[in-house]
Amino acid sequence: MRVDAYEKVTGKALYGADRVLPGMAFAALALARTGRGRLISVDTSAAAAVPGVLAVETHFDLASPGFVMGGGFGFQSLQPMTDDHIAYRGQPIAIVVAETPVAATEAAEAITAEYEDEPTALHLDSEGATTLVQEEAIPLPFLADLKVGDADAVIDASPVTIEGTYEHPPQHAVPMELNGGVVHWDGDTLIVHEGTQNANALRFGLAQQLGIDAANIEVRSPYVGGGFGQKNSLLVHIGPLALVSKRLGRPVKLVLARTQTFHNGSFRPASRQRIRLGADETGKITAAVHEVDQQTSRHDLFPAMHTETSARLYGLSAYRGRQRLVQTDVQTPGYMRAPFESPSMFAFEQVVDELAYKVGRDPVELRLANDTDTDPISGLPFSTRYVADCLRRGAELFGWSGRNPEPRSMRADDGSLIGWGVAIGNYPCNTAATNATLTAGEDGRVTVAVDGHEMGQGIRSTIALHVAQDLGIPVGDVVVQVGDTTVGTQHLTAGSWGTASALPSVHSGLRELRKHLDVADTGDVEVAPAVAAVGHAVTVHADSVGPGQPADALAQSMTGHLAITGPEYPGFVTFSWIAHFVEVRVEPTTCRIRVPRVVSVADCGRVASPVTAASQVRGGVIWGIGAALREESMVDDRFGGFVNSTLEEYPVMVNADVHSIDVDFIDKPDYRYNPVGVKGLGEVSMVGAAAAVANAVHHATGRRHYRLPIRIEHVI
Amino acid sequence: MRPFAYAAPGSVDDAVAVLRDAVPGTKILAGGTTLYDLMKLGVEAPPAVVDVLRLPELAGITVTDSELVFGAGVRMADVSDHPVVRADYPALAESIWRAASQQLRNMATLGGNLLQRTRCGYFRGTDFACNKRNPGSGCAAIEGHDRHHALLGASSLCSATYAGDFAIALRAFDAVVDVVGPRGERPIALADLHVEPGEDPSREHVLDVDELIVRIRVPLTPAGRGSTYLKIRDRESYAFALASAAVGLVIDGQGVVTESRIALGGVATRPWRAVEAEQSLLGQPLTAESARRAGEIAFADARPGRTNRFRIELGIRTVADAVRTAGERAVR
Ligand SMILES: Cc1cc2nc3c(=O)[nH]c(=O)nc-3n(C[C@H](O)[C@H](O)[C@H](O)COP(=O)(O)OP(=O)(O)OC[C@H]3O[C@@H](n4cnc5c(N)ncnc54)[C@H](O)[C@@H]3O)c2cc1C
Ligand code: SF4
Repeated sequence: MRVDAYEKVTGKALYGADRVLPGMAFAALALARTGRGRLISVDTSAAAAVPGVLAVETHFDLASPGFVMGGGFGFQSLQPMTDDHIAYRGQPIAIVVAETPVAATEAAEAITAEYEDEPTALHLDSEGATTLVQEEAIPLPFLADLKVGDADAVIDASPVTIEGTYEHPPQHAVPMELNGGVVHWDGDTLIVHEGTQNANALRFGLAQQLGIDAANIEVRSPYVGGGFGQKNSLLVHIGPLALVSKRLGRPVKLVLARTQTFHNGSFRPASRQRIRLGADETGKITAAVHEVDQQTSRHDLFPAMHTETSARLYGLSAYRGRQRLVQTDVQTPGYMRAPFESPSMFAFEQVVDELAYKVGRDPVELRLANDTDTDPISGLPFSTRYVADCLRRGAELFGWSGRNPEPRSMRADDGSLIGWGVAIGNYPCNTAATNATLTAGEDGRVTVAVDGHEMGQGIRSTIALHVAQDLGIPVGDVVVQVGDTTVGTQHLTAGSWGTASALPSVHSGLRELRKHLDVADTGDVEVAPAVAAVGHAVTVHADSVGPGQPADALAQSMTGHLAITGPEYPGFVTFSWIAHFVEVRVEPTTCRIRVPRVVSVADCGRVASPVTAASQVRGGVIWGIGAALREESMVDDRFGGFVNSTLEEYPVMVNADVHSIDVDFIDKPDYRYNPVGVKGLGEVSMVGAAAAVANAVHHATGRRHYRLPIRIEHVI
Repeated sequence: MRPFAYAAPGSVDDAVAVLRDAVPGTKILAGGTTLYDLMKLGVEAPPAVVDVLRLPELAGITVTDSELVFGAGVRMADVSDHPVVRADYPALAESIWRAASQQLRNMATLGGNLLQRTRCGYFRGTDFACNKRNPGSGCAAIEGHDRHHALLGASSLCSATYAGDFAIALRAFDAVVDVVGPRGERPIALADLHVEPGEDPSREHVLDVDELIVRIRVPLTPAGRGSTYLKIRDRESYAFALASAAVGLVIDGQGVVTESRIALGGVATRPWRAVEAEQSLLGQPLTAESARRAGEIAFADARPGRTNRFRIELGIRTVADAVRTAGERAVR
């Protein structure tokens, strides 16, 4: 069930840029056309002469919003149009406002500039790229390299060793909803309508940039047309938009063109993963080394957290992680769905597959043999870990027992090679501090305003369902408000903590509401009569923090900063788990790779909303297939930036690429983690999916691929 | 995008008159899925467009006793849905429904489809050197991303691929386009419509600026039934060909190939007919070896760039597979 399905299908749901305000003007950006350098001059005369143009601005007095992972609010610290430095191709150099979008676009295109070019480094290995050891460059405890025992020595002493280096390209999330929105001023109050996963960071980031009080900023983001991390912080167009809107005294709308979103928002950075495993003759893994080089920008250090998950996948006695950051001439990369976990699992789970072949053991059996209850890093128990059940149930649903392990041994009637691959994945269960306000109205409806953003993942449906089930009222009688700073804090919704963080405060709000309505702690409630008995609508507030999280996290969240904790909690560690089983078929002559069926079984604690949960997993699997077989953001060293910046050239999956994806859940609550028993799901859905595809391609063809995407030229 | 003048004449005669008197650079507009796109990108900037989308003479698909006749204004979607085309010329239908997306096919016309422009990324981005867009400026693709660039028919100035699908199938069937201009009507064989880049990559076809395609005629041939259009691409829909082949065959009672037509797409600077490959199949039974051999002959002169060598082998296999499918469908 999706409570907003009707609104979405009929176009009634209003996304950020859908606002049409009286007197609204339209903006467009002009972008730098050099890979890096200094701006010598900008010629705006032709732009200013375009009929209908109201303003052409090239310089703004705006403070840096600060980088979101450096205590700030922006996707990067660099605010364009504040000095003459060009850090990357596609950086905005001017903004035009006009009476129509067409005039604004025409004028923006008429802007020319002169640059003093500087050499660029765009790849991990480019001359001029600077490599930093992360734990030295960012000395924060949670970014320190994970080490248990002497992993290198254990591996050297192990009877079986295996290693591999895997390359992952940069990728872009390309959500359907383009970046952009509408801003206007109501007196001294700035109102921003923009699709974001982090309304509060927009609010406080703009306050910092503009030097005004956050109390005078409202951000409204009731629907987000896909965020996937690209909308998790303040983007660089909003500050300038707010200033031009103020100057003109009119609402202004800006929607970035698709190609512009490839440079004015984050992306998944390129990474290189080197994995070493030691094992005994049965394939029992003794130790692992995971070394990562990850791309970042020159102006920000986007922290790599690949080892957090790979260290927890199996029961190891020794582990060594090492993460380095490579500074290149790009905008700051960021959190694209399963940001580290998908690339690192693509590597780790292929190495594990190789191990299974090396010791002659079935890959499912080998994984089961390496299962554990205990986190190798902290020594603490996992609160819940049903990955073995995911593997067993997945194997059964898939028919894994029918697999001939020999590569190239299975063929379809048309001669296609059939490959079956498996991989598991995990994702840390972090928790954010959240607030909820619940109101029972005289009409019997219950309104719930809570920290959260609806990015299509279905948080509104999940909350409505939870409230409806708790009170025994129709889902239609629950109104859920999210993404709006006028009704709640609106902490960042990302990292799969959204539902697991919002539901606990809604849950405790319900207990509170029942008290104020003077009804029993459990059981169905006749809301309207209960409200009538009280004599007026009843409003209650509740909040929640993660296990062991200090209560001041709530105050921290209210200032627009991250206020999360996990996945290590007092006495336990919490991750979500998944197992993917993938069939690929490789055509006999032209070698096209198709994925006719996938079975994915997830352990996300209690399934809070079956329909939207299954969609999340299907979406994650589709992303995994896309990553494995298609997606790569291409770079042309001569020019900088990303060149395949359209939906035509950046090959996201299309419907015709998607076939059967069977989803199942273990559906066992994790009450140690939170009172509603719900763990995260959106990200773990993707983790391991690309690896399972790659393992299936290996099974089909006998060749292992160390670089994504695996395209026709690599298998022909 | 710059402002431009717009005219929508009511008949072909009026359209020709408007075009004859038009300011230099005026462009014919049909569905706009190429033209408007390039105007938005700043690659084309016509001062005026003449809309031919609704001209009655450009509408309709008819089947005579010697030809299939497509109005140049027929939408792509209407061709792929046409029962006769689907049954008797599967290659034509497949070349259309494997092109673009349903939304584009609902809007785009056949005339516009034939004259669509290349998808070379350096052509479509005004920041780059491109001899086609800006004659004499150089070619950014030579040292750049050339994964999709042409293996056949390139010159030292330009190796941009002719990206369309329908023209490939038409080329296999010896189609003719009828063109109307101020000097009246003239037929042009599809084989002569597009030109290789040679010394002037900006010139892509032989039409004069005031000439209009009114219809496309496809001579009836039994090879129509025994035909297929195989398109290999990076995803299963909404992508241009890495390699494609339109193949039509007639096979007699003894299993001997008596008529053979092979055209290549996605690999050449214009719709490409592989005459020697066709001939290699004639007069003998079809085998896996002869199909492969036809592919090898078709690509014998292929010249790869930096990153597209794999498409020679892919192209060979695409031809081989298409020949096999056409053989299965061929009338016996
Ligand atoms: C994202 C995308 C994906 C695509 N994928 C594919 C694909 O996979 N395969 C494929 O084949 N195509 C593909 N196309 C191209 C598409 O098929 C063409 O854009 C379309 O067929 C052009 O037809 P139109 O009517 O829109 O032409 P327009 O854009 O109106 O015109 C195109 C050109 O033809 C000229 N013209 C139009 N009609 C006439 C006429 N009657 N006489 C003389 N000149 C004329 C115009 O002046 C213009 O130069 C794709 C396009 C897009 C945007
Ligand atoms: S290949 Fe042709 S179209 Fe592409 S950049 Fe070179 S000259 Fe231009």
